[in-house]
Amino acid sequence: MGRLKTLLIYSASRLCIAPLMLWIISTLVFILLRIAPGDPVDAILGNRADLIAKDALREQLGLNKTLIEQYFIYIINLFHGDLGEALINKEPVVEIIQKALPATIELSLCALIIAGLIGISIGLSGIAKPEGKTDLAGRLYGITTYALPPFWAAMIIQFIFAVYLGWLPIGGRFPPYLVQPEQTGYFILDSLMSRDWVNLQGALRHLILPAITLGILLSGIFSRSLRLNLSKELKAGHIEATRSRGINETRVVLAHALPNSLLPVLTIAGITIASLIGGALLIELTFSWPGIAMRLQEAINQRDYPVVQGIVVVIASLVVLISIVVDIIVACIDPRVQY
Amino acid sequence: MKKKYAQNLLSTCITISTCILCLSQASCKSKLLNSRLTIASAGKISSIDPAQASSFHSLQLISALGDTLYKINKHGKLIPNLAIAMPIISKDGKRISIKLRDDVLFHDGTKFNAKAMAFSINRFKKIGRLNYILDGRIESVNAADEYLLNIKLTRKSSSLPALLTSVNLTPISPKSYSKHKDTFLNKEFIGTGPYKLIKFNSLQQRIVPFGKYWGENPKNTGIDLITLSNSTSLFGALKSGEIDVLLSNSMNADHLKALNKMAKDGLINEGIGPALEIGYITLRSNSPPFDSQLVRESLLYSIDRELISNRVTYGLRKPLWSLVPPNLWNKEKAPWPAYNPVKTQTLLKKLGYCNGKKLNLPFTFRSNVPSDKLLALTWQAQLKRDLQDCIKMELQGVESTTVYRQLGLGAFELVMLDWRGTYPDPNNYLTPFLSCKKINQTNCVIGESASSGSFWASYLIQSLLEDSDKETGSKRTELLKTIEDYAAKGASYLPVWLVNPLAWSQLNIIKPEFDSSGYLLISKLEKLNQWED
Repeated sequence: MGRLKTLLIYSASRLCIAPLMLWIISTLVFILLRIAPGDPVDAILGNRADLIAKDALREQLGLNKTLIEQYFIYIINLFHGDLGEALINKEPVVEIIQKALPATIELSLCALIIAGLIGISIGLSGIAKPEGKTDLAGRLYGITTYALPPFWAAMIIQFIFAVYLGWLPIGGRFPPYLVQPEQTGYFILDSLMSRDWVNLQGALRHLILPAITLGILLSGIFSRSLRLNLSKELKAGHIEATRSRGINETRVVLAHALPNSLLPVLTIAGITIASLIGGALLIELTFSWPGIAMRLQEAINQRDYPVVQGIVVVIASLVVLISIVVDIIVACIDPRVQY
Repeated sequence: MKKKYAQNLLSTCITISTCILCLSQASCKSKLLNSRLTIASAGKISSIDPAQASSFHSLQLISALGDTLYKINKHGKLIPNLAIAMPIISKDGKRISIKLRDDVLFHDGTKFNAKAMAFSINRFKKIGRLNYILDGRIESVNAADEYLLNIKLTRKSSSLPALLTSVNLTPISPKSYSKHKDTFLNKEFIGTGPYKLIKFNSLQQRIVPFGKYWGENPKNTGIDLITLSNSTSLFGALKSGEIDVLLSNSMNADHLKALNKMAKDGLINEGIGPALEIGYITLRSNSPPFDSQLVRESLLYSIDRELISNRVTYGLRKPLWSLVPPNLWNKEKAPWPAYNPVKTQTLLKKLGYCNGKKLNLPFTFRSNVPSDKLLALTWQAQLKRDLQDCIKMELQGVESTTVYRQLGLGAFELVMLDWRGTYPDPNNYLTPFLSCKKINQTNCVIGESASSGSFWASYLIQSLLEDSDKETGSKRTELLKTIEDYAAKGASYLPVWLVNPLAWSQLNIIKPEFDSSGYLLISKLEKLNQWED
C-alpha cells in the first residue's frame, strides 16, 4: 500500500473517531457540571431569593426537567449545531465563543511566534560550543522559564513594564478610548485591513506584554527540545559525512541538521497550540485578556451550563483537529513515520 | 560563530525593545489628547436591564444612565427625584399616589410619564430577577393621568416608598422596550439619566452626557468604564496613571491599605461612600450545638472584632455590633455585646464545656473571598489564644456558589457571609434575616430565616415585623430597633464588620463622591485641568 494511501486511511480513521471522542467529552462535561454543587439559579439570584422565585427561574431556564430530558435536549441541539444560550443573560453561546476565541487565538499565535524565535535562537546558540558558557546559559534559561509559575512571571513583567516604567498598558485588549474594530474579532488583522494605524498601535500595545510573557514561558521547552535533538543530530553519520565533504559548519547546522531536529519541535508546537486554545488561563486572568479561558472560568463560577458545555466542546473539537493536522504535516515531512 | 549568534541575539533584543518603546511613547501622545475619563473596576457586567441586573457594577452603571422616582439623602430621608412630591398614602395605607415631573425625556426622545413608570414597575414585577424584593406587596400599578401614578398595595406597607429608590425600579422607555415586555434587553439601556449608553460589552461600556437631561448636566465629557480582572491589575493601573478612577469593593486588603496610604500622602484622592454592606456569621440554630441558645450566646462574646478588623483589613472595615448599618439610624447602644472571653468561658462552663471538654466549631468560609479566609484564620488563632480549653475551631473553605446553594439546606453550622440591601432602609437589614413564613416552635421551616441558613425564628419578631410595616416615622423606627435587640438576644447571627464602598481618583480629578445608596456619583467626576489636555 502506498504511503499516501496509508496516510489518508489513518487521517480518515482519526476523523471518524473524532465525533465519538466529542460525544464522550460532552457527556462527561454534562455529568460533571450537574454533579458539582451549586446551580445557576443560586448564582443568579443569590441566597436571599425565596423558593417561589427560585422555582420560577429554574422552570424558565429548563432546569426543572429531569437530567435525562436535559441531556437529550442538549445532545440533540448539539447534533444540530445549536450550543444554546447563556443562562445568565440569554446571549447565544456561539456568539460568546465567537467573541472570546479570536482573542485567545491572536494571543496564542503571537506567543507561539515569540516562543519559536526565542526558543530556536537559544537552542541554536549553544550548539557552537556544547557545554560552553552560552550553552549552559541557554540550558539554564530553558529550565528556568519552564519552571517559572506563569502568574508570578506575568505579575513581575506587569509590574516592571506597566506599573514601574509605564511603557505599556497593564491589562485589557484594546484602549478604552478607541472604538474597537468589529470585523473578524482579530483586532490586529482588522486594523491592518482597515488601515487604521491608531487602532493597530493600540491593539499591539495591549498584546505585547501578555504575548511576550507567554512566549518567554513557552520558549524554554522549544529551546531545550531543539538543543537536545540538534546535538543528537550533529553526531549522526550523515552529518559526519557532510562535514567530511568540506561543507562549512554553518551550512551543516542550518541546512542538514536543523530540518531533522525541528520535527519534534513541530510536534511540541502542535500540542502547545492545542493547549493554548484550551486556555492560557493564568495569563488571561493576570492581564485581563478577554479570551476563551477567562470566559470559561467565569461560566464555571456562575454555573452557566450551556456556556461551559459549548466552550468545552469547541475547544475539544479544535484540539482534535489540530492534532490530526500536525500528525499529517509530520507524516508528510518525515518519511520515517509509520502508521 | 558564537560571536555571530550573540550579535544576532543582541540585535533582536534591541529591535524588540525599540518597537516597544516607540509604541508606548506614541500611545502616550494619543492618550494626552483624550479628555474622557476612564473608570476601572473588577466587576463584569452581563446585563444592564434593570429587571435583570443584580450585581453591584450593573446597578452602578444603571444609576448613571437612569433616575429613580425618589432618592435618599444623607440623613436617610426620602427626597423626590422623578417625582415632584412625597408619595400620598391613602387612609387605609393600601393606595399610594405619586405626582411625576413633566419635563423629563427618555434617551430615545419620548416623554417620561405615568404610563412609562407603570410599564417599568409592572415589567419588573413580571420578569424581574429580583422581583421577590416586592414581597407580593404591589397589587397593581397604573397611570391615573399623564403625570399621576397610582400604586395599589395588597397590604399596608410603610417600607414601600423606600423601595422606590431601588435602581431595579429605574424607568425605561416603553417605546424602546416594546419588544422586550417579557424578555430582557441586556445590552442596551434607554432611560432618563444624565448619561446615555453608546457602547456596551461585558468588559467595557462607553457613556456620554445626554444633552436633553432634565437635571444638572454631568461635569465631564463622557466616561469609559472598563473591567480589569484582578486587584493587582486595578492597583497597578491607578498607580501608573493608566486609569482616572478606580472603583472597587473587591480589592485585596494589602492594596486597600496601600491606596489608603497613597491618599493620606496626597498622591491620589480617596472617596468613601456610606457603609451599606455588612459582613456577618450565621449560626445554624436548628441542630446541635447551636440549637442551644446559651451556646450561641457564648459565641457572641468570643469574637474580638477590633483585632480581626485590624489584622484582616488594617482597620479599613469597621467592627460592627449590629445588623443594621449604624449610619441608617442613630442608635445609642449597640445590640450585640462586646468581646469578653471570660463571659464565654463562664457560659460554656455552665454547659459542661471547658476543663477537658471542648466545643467543636466547624467554621465555613467562602474560599474565593480572600478576606473571609483571613478572618477565619484570625478568629481561629484568637480563640486558640483566649479559649484554648473551651473551643476548638475547624476551618472549611467552600466556593461561594456552593455555599449559597447549600445554605438553605442547613449544610453549615457556622458560615461567613455578607449582605448589601438593595436600598438603604433598616428593614432591608432585618426582614431578610429574620422573617419567617412558617414557624415550628423556634425553628423557621419556610422563609427568609431558613434561606439565610440560621433557621431561627420567633413569633414575637414576626409580629413586630408586621407591625413595623404598618407604622411610619419614629414609631416604625422604634419597632425596628426593638426587633434588632431581640435578634441580638436570639444570637443566631454574629455581625462582624461594615464595608464602605471606596473609589480613588488621580489628583487632576475631583475627589469621588457617593450617593446615600452607595453608588459613585459619576456625573460629578471632573477633570481639574481640562484645558491642559
